[in-house]
Amino acid sequence: MTPEIVALLADLETAGYIAEPATATALFLARATQKPLLVEGDAGVGKTELAKVLARLLGTELIRLQCYEGLDVQTALYEWDYPRQMLRVRIGDGRGEDAQALEARLFSREYLLERPILRAITHAGAPAVLLIDEIDRADDGFEAFLLEVLSDFQVTIPELGTIRAEHPPYVLLTSNGTRELGDALRRRCLYLYLDHPSLEREVRIIRARCPDAGGALPDQIARFLQALRARTLVKPPGVAETLDFTRALLSLRQHSLEADVVGVTLGCLLKDRHDLESMSPAEVAALVASACEVRS
Amino acid sequence: MPGAPTVAGPRTGLDEDRALWLARLGGALRAHGIAATVRDEIDAAVALALVDRADRDEVARTLRIALKIRREAWPAFDLVFAKLWSGADRDLDQAPPPSRPPAPREQPPRLLSWDPVRRRLAVPDEDHELPGGNQTGTRPAASPTALLRRKSFDAAAWSAQELAAMERMLARLAHRLATCRSRRLIPAPGTARGRLDLRRSQRKALATGGEMLRFARRVRAVEEPRLVFLCDTSGSMDAHTRFLLMFVLALRRAARRADLFAFNTELVDLGRDVVPGKIRLTLDRLAARVPDWSGGTRIGASLARFADRDLPRLGGPRTVVVVLSDGLDRGDPAELAGAVKRIRARVRRLVWLNPLLGDVRYQPAARGMAAALPFIDCFAPAHNLESLERLLPQLVV
Repeated sequence: MTPEIVALLADLETAGYIAEPATATALFLARATQKPLLVEGDAGVGKTELAKVLARLLGTELIRLQCYEGLDVQTALYEWDYPRQMLRVRIGDGRGEDAQALEARLFSREYLLERPILRAITHAGAPAVLLIDEIDRADDGFEAFLLEVLSDFQVTIPELGTIRAEHPPYVLLTSNGTRELGDALRRRCLYLYLDHPSLEREVRIIRARCPDAGGALPDQIARFLQALRARTLVKPPGVAETLDFTRALLSLRQHSLEADVVGVTLGCLLKDRHDLESMSPAEVAALVASACEVRS
Repeated sequence: MPGAPTVAGPRTGLDEDRALWLARLGGALRAHGIAATVRDEIDAAVALALVDRADRDEVARTLRIALKIRREAWPAFDLVFAKLWSGADRDLDQAPPPSRPPAPREQPPRLLSWDPVRRRLAVPDEDHELPGGNQTGTRPAASPTALLRRKSFDAAAWSAQELAAMERMLARLAHRLATCRSRRLIPAPGTARGRLDLRRSQRKALATGGEMLRFARRVRAVEEPRLVFLCDTSGSMDAHTRFLLMFVLALRRAARRADLFAFNTELVDLGRDVVPGKIRLTLDRLAARVPDWSGGTRIGASLARFADRDLPRLGGPRTVVVVLSDGLDRGDPAELAGAVKRIRARVRRLVWLNPLLGDVRYQPAARGMAAALPFIDCFAPAHNLESLERLLPQLVV
């Protein structure tokens, strides 16, 4: 393995993110080639967390743009501070200020409201981490706009001119797959698919994030989760759910999996009515038993 | 991840001529149905220069990232990669594309015996007997207009006036179905409704010396969804199909982008055969195109075929897929569930219209239906006009 990737893997682990080699490889390549990284995967596998950890590792700011349907360029890029501009004009009127000076002042950085993308581009000092979260929720028009920004990291504001990024930000895009992304955007990025963690990795994640969970508990929880994910579920539980579940068991002072306790805390894992209904108490008991027996 | 690191050695050809090796890989991937463009290959070349090329697993990971291989395509990619890595790629050209093993072609048992009259799709005013299913619905000899909407689609006798009234109603429904409000805001000149748009107000104020006399506003855009209909034409659906098809035809007239597929044991694209305004001609043409009309059903296989072949082209954030079927599948429920899940992932809404829902005794327990249910946004009855009308508010999104 490339030494940089090994080092990055270790760094991620120190920062509390237990990653697969593929994840570290993707982060390394995205930084080295200065390309955006598109991260896809089921909900709760740690896509957003990856960006947070990266920002922490690099000691830089995380700038987050949460996408939603109807998100427009003004919310994502920049907007003039109209109320303040108007106020300034009124004040100027009374004083009889020089018109040109006033105009130059009104359309200066002072009255520019920087939204996430512009903020990431103008970030001073070191490159920021720009997280464009759930890009699949924005509509396709916005996607086309992003394409333009991501290809040359520059923004043109008619009143100010073109602003180029001194330090192009590290861009992470995440997608839950609620809709298929356009091919053009996909091709512009590097692509990482985050799978649900393997058994061994999940145990390590539980140990790292919930240090209170001792003994056989992390192992049992991980085995139970693996068995649960093997079933056909509408929303398979992700790592976020695993950690919620572990914390729930810890607050109930459980030191090993018990079928009845699991039965009542199942809502931490399964967030869909159909999924919950498909699990009868007997099935839960069977899954818990098989998760526990391997250990003892 | 299988650990044993393989020594690359010069026999892989990767280090000798990376560009050639990547071009061969790209070609092999494309032959297996994985889209890999030259741009991707360039990305891969740049990425490979940065990593340890003697580590087989790392090279595979890097290529997956740089070539943007989707999760579904990983098995096929691994296969191609393994062959190329070991230098056994010469026989790749002859390898059959593993995209989908040909489904076993066993003929499913027919629900109905073959009937020469039913080979052809009957048009509504043709007077002949229909099989009495387990559907409810009153069968009045002559129905007042108020009853029209309750009249079940499988009632045989419809007069010409009733048909005309029904067509008008369908056209109205179709129009409403074919528009939806987006969450995007667009300028709305000349209105006093909607949200304030300061940016444009400011600009307009220039004309009046900076004095804002009138505010500009923005309202939600009206979008036209792309409609895709998948009609079950099997024997169990026979009584309903022609009316549902009429509905689809009316929709087709209202929506510019509507696609129509029929399926029973196979999936047929009927898009080009639909002629708005000529229902009878269309129905005749459809009947000629659809093999095994009124035969058995393999919903799962048909929907999977749709998801493989047509969904990449038709799916999108504005696509609404409507399936017209009773869910009486003769195939594997898991296959149906998988196909429905895949379709749901790529469209805005997935609607399933089921004529059997009109029957109070009906429970969606039919194996296939139960498996598909969790992935459906809207599961509604479609046994008469009233039920279709009730459906509308749920469809307009």
